[in-house]
Amino acid sequence: MSTEEHAATPTEASEWPLEPTNNFAPGENNFIKVDNFKFFYGKKEALHGINLEIPSRKVTAFIGPSGCGKSTLLRNFNRMNELIPGVRHEGDITIHGTSIYDPSVEIIALRRRIGMVFQKSNPFPMSIYENIVYPLRISGQNTRSVLDETVERCLRSAALWDEAKDRLNDSALGLSGGQMQRLCIARAVASRPEILLMDEPCSALDPIATAKVEELIIELKKDFTIVIVTHNMQQASRVSELTAFFYLGILIEFDNTRKIFTNPSMKQTEEYITGRFG
Amino acid sequence: MLRLFRNHFLTGLCIAISLLTLVPLFSIIVLVIKNGLPLLSTNLFTQLPPAPGLDGGGFGNAIVGTLVMVGISLGFSVPLGILAAVFVNEYASVSWLASVVRFVAKLLTGIPSIICGVFAFAAVVMTTHKFSALAGGLALAILILPTILLTAEQALLGVPYAFREASFGVGATPFQTIWRIVLPEAMPAIMTGVMLAVARAAGETAPVLFTALFSQNWIKGIMEPTASLSVLIYNFASLPYAYHIKLAWSASLILVVLVTLSNILAQVIFAPKHH
Amino acid sequence: MYKEPAKPHTLTNFTTALDQLRSSVLRMSSLAQLNLQNSIKGLLERDDDWCNNCIADDEEIDLLEMQIDHEGIEVMSRFQPVASDLREVISSIKIGANIERVADQAVNIARRARKLNEQPELTELHLLDNPIRLSLTMFDDAVRAFAERNTELAVELKSRDKELDLLNKELTDTLINRMQDDSPNLPSYLNLIFISRCLERIGDHACNIAEDIVFAVSAQDIRHLGKQ
Repeated sequence: MSTEEHAATPTEASEWPLEPTNNFAPGENNFIKVDNFKFFYGKKEALHGINLEIPSRKVTAFIGPSGCGKSTLLRNFNRMNELIPGVRHEGDITIHGTSIYDPSVEIIALRRRIGMVFQKSNPFPMSIYENIVYPLRISGQNTRSVLDETVERCLRSAALWDEAKDRLNDSALGLSGGQMQRLCIARAVASRPEILLMDEPCSALDPIATAKVEELIIELKKDFTIVIVTHNMQQASRVSELTAFFYLGILIEFDNTRKIFTNPSMKQTEEYITGRFG
Repeated sequence: MLRLFRNHFLTGLCIAISLLTLVPLFSIIVLVIKNGLPLLSTNLFTQLPPAPGLDGGGFGNAIVGTLVMVGISLGFSVPLGILAAVFVNEYASVSWLASVVRFVAKLLTGIPSIICGVFAFAAVVMTTHKFSALAGGLALAILILPTILLTAEQALLGVPYAFREASFGVGATPFQTIWRIVLPEAMPAIMTGVMLAVARAAGETAPVLFTALFSQNWIKGIMEPTASLSVLIYNFASLPYAYHIKLAWSASLILVVLVTLSNILAQVIFAPKHH
Repeated sequence: MYKEPAKPHTLTNFTTALDQLRSSVLRMSSLAQLNLQNSIKGLLERDDDWCNNCIADDEEIDLLEMQIDHEGIEVMSRFQPVASDLREVISSIKIGANIERVADQAVNIARRARKLNEQPELTELHLLDNPIRLSLTMFDDAVRAFAERNTELAVELKSRDKELDLLNKELTDTLINRMQDDSPNLPSYLNLIFISRCLERIGDHACNIAEDIVFAVSAQDIRHLGKQ
């Protein structure tokens, strides 16, 4: 990690921060750049001017209480929020320098560069094999050998190959909850995206399945930039290198996970993570 | 003690009344079987109706005619209904157009079947100057279209949003999502609706009465009039010839069997999957 | 950074457990203060009863150290504290260990005092007055800084430690010179030197406590800065 560790200097606690603490210099390292981004559901302003730079090949966690906007921001990275009628945005989000709202960017192409894993695992009602090759088929890739190789690669990446290799043609819906979520992760990486977005991926899983998925995330970050939204702060502290804390649509603090959980700069962050909120 | 007795009494009453509701149904079935069975033979399927007063023959042309017109009606209404349902549910679900379509469809489910016949008469028979199976099929199509549309819409609604979300998440277009995921998943429920529509269309008399008219012969083409089971029953039942009346009973039996088979197919073979 | 955790936890068990840990440390610290005062009384007034009290009461302090360790571990395993709560728990455990050492030094002083009381009084006993005053106030201030979460007081403590070290060194040199002239009282002079060392160690432990307090409150690590 390029950021230097500097001794925490006590600063005055402020009530409502105007500038979040952000220890990362802008530069090529930073993959997703959120630029004064505002988001509206109809008249309601859900995100108020977010400024954030997410570096590549790291796990960044978004934490915050319900309704703070972390999922909303995540789902804007691949423009999934535009499936909801009546939304609009101001400001910009760029990935590797290109705005995702640029007219030359096709939403379909954008979503193929970004993999998404949802809170409740949602495999298609097809076989395991077909689930994973679906992203390839919709891009027109139907060559058997390519599909086979993709299935093996993805299942291995998702730590599911040994459990699934003998039942590739069985229905995906026959898997256990944890396996289904790992299948969804496998499907998300099938088209070799650069970014992986995970919206509370473990909230419906038991502790053992959760641990396997977390181990998977740590493995995957070697190849992907991962952003994970989580309610579980211990998970954020276990898995991520950077943590962003949101509250009521505002980014309160964004820093090394280690700093956030031992000595956060903002009073709201301290109160939230120690359980003094509300 | 009194409460227990009252409980048993009311339970018994419910059971008795439920059994009572089955009485008309079973009476029809018993009556139709009893009167239709005597003439049952392969002749019914292969031979033409006899001239009034004569014996022998069957109503193969009526069976074929019914199947042809039901087929025509399905040919119109199934694609139209499914595509309209797809539009209403997937592409424009909050638009004013979708609301209008839904409202009109619900309205039309109650349309008197004779009105469908009148419309087809004006639209096809008067413009082509002939009665035809096509007109009959069209009348039936109008009859069952609203039902198919609404059933298809329900079927599409029954497909969990999570599947669509996952599909969009990997970069599929709405068309790909519908074609590859949503429609296949909704198909069993859609088929159920279609089978039920078939059952209804096969048995309707009024729409085909003055569109397809009737014929004593095998159907020559869809632009020609044709016999149908329902019209045959209507005609023969009012003739003073015993044989024809028996034929009407047998036709009723075949029609009931056809309708029942359709319903069974709908509910058993195309029953919704349980995950 | 924050003088006082202003709000209680949403989970009252958590607040209760943290408060319980804190009050254990406060109780242990006041017992240690008492024992230290008793041992000094026993030394200066040449009264063995005070010394014996000090030695006897040390057992309770040892038990409290173990209790603080258990309570701290329990808070960590049950509540997975983070940030200021985590720093507070860890500091409490470390402060408990330091208070226990202070109490041990008090016992050492008491034992040495008993030995001194068997011998005739030395005038040089009153050379200890300044080190005694300094080290006792340092420990008292450390306890007060913990109770008040007062980082300024804690930081200021560290500067006094140099003075105490200097006093100890001067006293040792003076007593060594006296020893050469007054050899029959050699054992007493040695005891005085040891007692001075005990006082100097008490000052060190007070400084350790100060460092832990600063870490708990502001996350600054001010240890070992003087060695640069």
